[in-house]
Amino acid sequence: MSTLNKSLTAASLAFALGAALSVAATPVAAQEKMADKEKCFGVALKGKNDCKAGAGTTCAGTSKIDYQGNAWSLVPKGTCEKTASPTSPTGFGQLAEFKEKKA
Amino acid sequence: MSPQGSFAAALLDPERPCPAGLTAWNGSDPAPRFRVYRNNVIVSLIDALADTFAVTQELVGEEFFRAMARLYACAQPPQSRLLAFYGASFPDFIEGFPPAAGVPYLADVARLEQLRVVAYHAADVAPIGSDEIGAALADEGALPGLVFRLHPSLSVLGSAFAVVSLWAAHQGLRELSTVAPATAETALILRHGLAVEVIQVSAAAGVFIAALRVGESLGAAAEMAAAEDAGFDLAGTLGLLLQKEAVTALHSPRRSS
Amino acid sequence: MTTVSHLLPKDAGAAVPRAGTLPLRSGLGLKPEHFRTILDTLPDLGFFEIHAENYMVDGGPFHHYLTLIRGHYPLSIHGVGLSIGGEGPLDEAHLDRLAALIARYEPQSFSEHLAWSSHGDVFLNDLLPAPYDAATLQRVCDHVDRVQERLRRRMLLENPATYVEFAASTMAEADFIGAVVQRTGCGLLLDVNNAHVSCTNHGRDARAFIAALPLAATAQIHLAGFAQDVDAAGDPLLIDSHGAPIAQAVWDLYRYTLQRTGPLPTLIERDSDIPPFPVLLAEAQQAEALLLAAAEPRTEYA
Repeated sequence: MSTLNKSLTAASLAFALGAALSVAATPVAAQEKMADKEKCFGVALKGKNDCKAGAGTTCAGTSKIDYQGNAWSLVPKGTCEKTASPTSPTGFGQLAEFKEKKA
Repeated sequence: MSPQGSFAAALLDPERPCPAGLTAWNGSDPAPRFRVYRNNVIVSLIDALADTFAVTQELVGEEFFRAMARLYACAQPPQSRLLAFYGASFPDFIEGFPPAAGVPYLADVARLEQLRVVAYHAADVAPIGSDEIGAALADEGALPGLVFRLHPSLSVLGSAFAVVSLWAAHQGLRELSTVAPATAETALILRHGLAVEVIQVSAAAGVFIAALRVGESLGAAAEMAAAEDAGFDLAGTLGLLLQKEAVTALHSPRRSS
Repeated sequence: MTTVSHLLPKDAGAAVPRAGTLPLRSGLGLKPEHFRTILDTLPDLGFFEIHAENYMVDGGPFHHYLTLIRGHYPLSIHGVGLSIGGEGPLDEAHLDRLAALIARYEPQSFSEHLAWSSHGDVFLNDLLPAPYDAATLQRVCDHVDRVQERLRRRMLLENPATYVEFAASTMAEADFIGAVVQRTGCGLLLDVNNAHVSCTNHGRDARAFIAALPLAATAQIHLAGFAQDVDAAGDPLLIDSHGAPIAQAVWDLYRYTLQRTGPLPTLIERDSDIPPFPVLLAEAQQAEALLLAAAEPRTEYA
C-alpha cells in the first residue's frame, strides 16, 4: 500500500477536489432535457398504506399455488425473454448517466 | 392460540380452515366471507411489492411475479406498520427462489428498485456549499484525513450483472435487446432534490463512494478505489457527488499534535 | 433545514389556520397522483385527508408536497395502522410517530378505525373485525384513552365495514360504538359507506343503525364506493373497495344522516382505480351541495 500512498499525496487530493469543484460548477445542458421525466419519477410512488379492500376477488386469497407442489413449474414470461442474447457491448463509459444517454 | 392469533394465522395460510366462532346473519357458511379478509391481506401485500418492484415484475411477467410475491408475503409478512419499505428482504428471497434461477440478475434488479424506494423517502439534508470545500482546500495537509458525510438517500449497488442498463431499458431510456445482462455494473442511487436518480459508475468509483459512505477518510477511500483500478478518476467522482449535492458535511479530524 | 425548502413558496403555510376544526365542507383523500394538479389548480375544496402511515417517512417528495398543500388547505390525518381493536397493547413507537406527524402538520382532525391490523409482530395491512363483547369494549376504551392521552387531543373513531360477525358478540355495533364514545369522550367518524356495506352484509337496516349511533358525537363523515359479491347463500356481500363512484344508496343514506346531524365535514375516499382529479372533485361538490342543504332549517321526522 505504500506505493499507492505516495501516489495519493495531499497535493493530489487537493488537485482532484479543486477539479471536482469546477466539474460540479459546470452547467450540464443535457441534464435539463430529462428534467420533466425525472419529476414524473419523483411522484410516481404511491402511498402503500390505504384502507381499500380488493374488489370482487374473494377467491384470490385462496387460489391454489400450483407450482408449489408441482416442481416449480412456473416459468418467467416477461421482458427477460428479450435479454438473453449477448449482443452488443453496453457502450457506457465511466459515470455514464442514462438521462444523458437519452439526449 | 388467542382468537386474533387464530384469525391472523388463517389469513396467512390458505390451507387453514376458516377460524371458529364466525357467523353470518343468513346462516350461510362464513368461509367465503372470511376469504374477503384473506384476499385483502394477501393481495394488498402483493400489490405493495408490485409497486416497489415494478421492473422486477416486468422482467418475469405479472403471473410469475405475483405467484412469487404471494409465497413471499405468506412466508414473510410485514413486521412494520409502514408498508412503504415492505419487501426489503424480497431480493434475497428471489435469489433463493428456484423458479427464478433462469433469470440470475433478477435479485440485483430488485435490490436496485428497493434502494430507489429507500432513496425516495430518505431524510432531506442540505448539501455543503462551495465555501466549505474552499475551506477544506485551504488546509491541504488535512485533506487525506477529511471525512465526508453523504446524503442519507445515497447508496451504491455493485452487481455482476448489468443492473443499471436493465433497469434503464424498462424506463424507455435504452433498448433492452442491446443490453448484455452478464456485464458487471455498479449503480449509484440517490435523490437529488425530489428526483431519485440511478447513475452508472465505474467499479472503482463505487468502491470510493461506498467507502466514504461508511466514514472512511478521503485518503483511505481514494486508496481503496485506486487498488480496484489504478486509472480511477477521483476528480470526476468527487465532481459527480458535488454536482448531485450528495455531500452534506465535511469533518476534519483533529490533527494529532 | 431541508434541501427542498428553497422550493417552497414564501407564503406556504401562511394562509390556512393551523388549529380548530375542519370546515363544514367536503374534502378529498390526498393521492400522490394528484399532488401537482392540486398545487397547479388550487381547487375549491374544504380540506384534504391523508393516511398517517404513508407520511411516516423521513423526507422526500411526500413531505415536500404535503407541506405545500397544507399551506393551502385544512388537513385531516386518518390512521390505518394503530390496531385499536388489537388484543395486544398499543404500539408506543407507532404512537410516537403519530404524535410527531401531528405536531408537524397540525391537522384539524385525527381519526382511526374500530378494527385491528397487527398481531404479535406481524402487520396484516387490513382492517380486521373483533367481537362486540365486554372484553373488546374494555380493550378498545383503554386504547382510545391511551391515544387521546398521548396525542393530547380528542380522536374520532370510525365504524368499520365488516364481512363476518362473531358468535361471541353480545352487543349491537351501534351500542358498542355508543359505549366507547360515552366512556372515552372520543368523537365518531361516521363512514356512511361502511354503514351501508356492513348493514347489507349482516341483513340489518342501515337507517336504524345510523339512528342508533351516538350522532351528537359525529365530527366527520366518510363516503366511498363499494364492490359487489355474493355470500355462500347467494345474498349480497358488499366489499369496501374504495374503488368506485359513490352508490346512489349511499348518497341516500348520507342525506338521511345529514337530516339528523346537520352539516358535517365530509370526505370522499378513493384508494383504487383512481380517476382523474376532476372526477373526484365533482363527487366532492355533490357532497358539499347536500351538506350545505342540510344547513337549511329542516323538519324532523322519526
